[in-house]
Amino acid sequence: MIWETVRLALQSVRRNALRSVLTLLGIVIGVAAVIAMLTIGSGTTQKVKSDISRLGSNLLVVRAGRPPVPGSPPSAAVRQLDERDVRALLTHLTGAQVVSPASQKQVRVVSGTESLTVSVTGTDNGYLDARDWKIVSGRPFTESEIRGGASSCLLGETVRQQFFGAGDPEGSVVRVGHMSCKVVGLLEAKGFSGFGQDQDNVVLMPLVAFQRRVAGTRDIDTIYVTADSGTTTTELVDRVTDILRDSHRLPPDREDDFSVRDMTQVADAMTSATTSMTGMLGALAGVSLLVGGIGIMNIMLVSVTERTREIGIRLAIGAHERHILVQFLVEATVLSLLGGLIGITLGLALAGAAALALGIPFAPSLSVILLAVGFSGLIGMVFGFFPALRGARLDPIEALRHE
Amino acid sequence: MTGEPFIAFTDVWKTYGSGEAQVNALAGVELSIARGEFVAIMGPSGSGKSTAMNIMGCLDTPTAGRYDFCGVDAGRLDRDRRAALRNLYIGFVFQGYNLLPRTTAAENVELPLIYRGTPAAERRMIAMEALRQVGLAGREDHTPAQLSGGQQQRVAIARAIVTRPALLVADEPTGNLDTQRSHEIMQLIVRLNAELGLTVVMVTHETDIAAYAQRIITFVDGRVASDVPNLKAA
Repeated sequence: MIWETVRLALQSVRRNALRSVLTLLGIVIGVAAVIAMLTIGSGTTQKVKSDISRLGSNLLVVRAGRPPVPGSPPSAAVRQLDERDVRALLTHLTGAQVVSPASQKQVRVVSGTESLTVSVTGTDNGYLDARDWKIVSGRPFTESEIRGGASSCLLGETVRQQFFGAGDPEGSVVRVGHMSCKVVGLLEAKGFSGFGQDQDNVVLMPLVAFQRRVAGTRDIDTIYVTADSGTTTTELVDRVTDILRDSHRLPPDREDDFSVRDMTQVADAMTSATTSMTGMLGALAGVSLLVGGIGIMNIMLVSVTERTREIGIRLAIGAHERHILVQFLVEATVLSLLGGLIGITLGLALAGAAALALGIPFAPSLSVILLAVGFSGLIGMVFGFFPALRGARLDPIEALRHE
Repeated sequence: MTGEPFIAFTDVWKTYGSGEAQVNALAGVELSIARGEFVAIMGPSGSGKSTAMNIMGCLDTPTAGRYDFCGVDAGRLDRDRRAALRNLYIGFVFQGYNLLPRTTAAENVELPLIYRGTPAAERRMIAMEALRQVGLAGREDHTPAQLSGGQQQRVAIARAIVTRPALLVADEPTGNLDTQRSHEIMQLIVRLNAELGLTVVMVTHETDIAAYAQRIITFVDGRVASDVPNLKAA
């Protein structure tokens, strides 16, 4: 009996193919959006996690100011990190492999007639270990370059391509802001980050040179610390915190004026950003599904009216109310499930294309797909119920008279 | 069911509207029909003959009075019970055939069996037999659009008798047909009445069609004006 009804419903959908497709558009778009967003979202999360695990789970990131709380204004008059903090850590911290200061700025870099806005970082060789940068040609900075603030720099792959094409940049000179800088080496390409950021659009130079000739301040944005094999990041966070509180002379009742985060926390922060974005787009998709549902209700009302005589015949020869109700409910559900399936296919295709374009993994989730199937079926049932009930409640005599 | 009439109207009233606009479609109808009878119902339009037929077919219920069908007080049954009663005991033939469009003859005939829960294979077999009985063997895969009016009415009759009903209710069954086809359809109904012992109640306003019945009941102003045996047919 139920199979019979499904067959009948498919028949009726096929007979009004164009109308059915137009009706389904709302559901198709809604489901496609949900599937695409969730699939891209989980791909991004995977990418972020793998990026971070590649960086190493033993990395700590120290920044000035308390960790930002979303929605609250940034706290004014933050005490910046500086040379003294780095020295304090280098002197007192145990269990650390690398302590590396870094400051960053977006700067226009020029070579010949070409120019490019690049993320320039002033730092030392420890940064290369902490951030997992490898040098493919040339050399890292020398001790004297770092101490003396020499005008040497390492280029990222994107910068190389912009200025030198496939050529070897070593020994060339580029202008970073107002300073001329000799290229001593080339960094290995990293590709795009989980957020679609080009990680290779970078120039590294000794911190002292950066502070004097690019930033014009002695502030340090970030101190990277990595734990050695015998130390957990949790232990290290505590030690770093103690040393910096001491260095900043904070009394016990004052809160930290800096933040120390290990990469799991950073990962969580990034993931939660992705999640909230996915959620917002999901809500938009929900609106589209609602509109789709109303479309289904509309078309089912039309269908019931069109087939009033058929309903009359069925009632006359012995159909019960619930037979008619089920018939139209199944029809609405089949219609909206069909929309759901088309939407899932479309959404997966979109997510696949996005995965290719953004270089993130394609991560379809079975549970999301099943949820979409269930949800689209549910929409059909909910929005098909009222029209179906209206059909089922028809008076057979009136219905038979209907022209 | 000894002595008990098959169909019995006891002081049946059917009222539409209320207050000033109130209309009595039926005004105290007394009527009984025995099993196996072939009755024609005649009367001018608005005489209440269609209302009476709808009540007999358990499509409608009286406002007042009592309608007994097969010994059941059918006027007091709810919608679904009446639907079950129609499915089990009553077949309908309409003036406009009322077949489902774009649906084959066999599928149309199978329809009442679906609501009975008959399995598909058995349904098919019974439907084919019914089509054979109305002389449409070999046309089972034709849709109504591919059949003539007379053939469509035969499909409708096959659908009405496929459940082996006790009562056939026919509402102007020849109203859309030419004379030749009309008489063929009437001969088919007479044959079914005789061979299957099917009780037939037929509404018509054509005297030559009514002449096929054994008994002619005439309605005027919601009452039975005359109720006479048709000696010619009997």
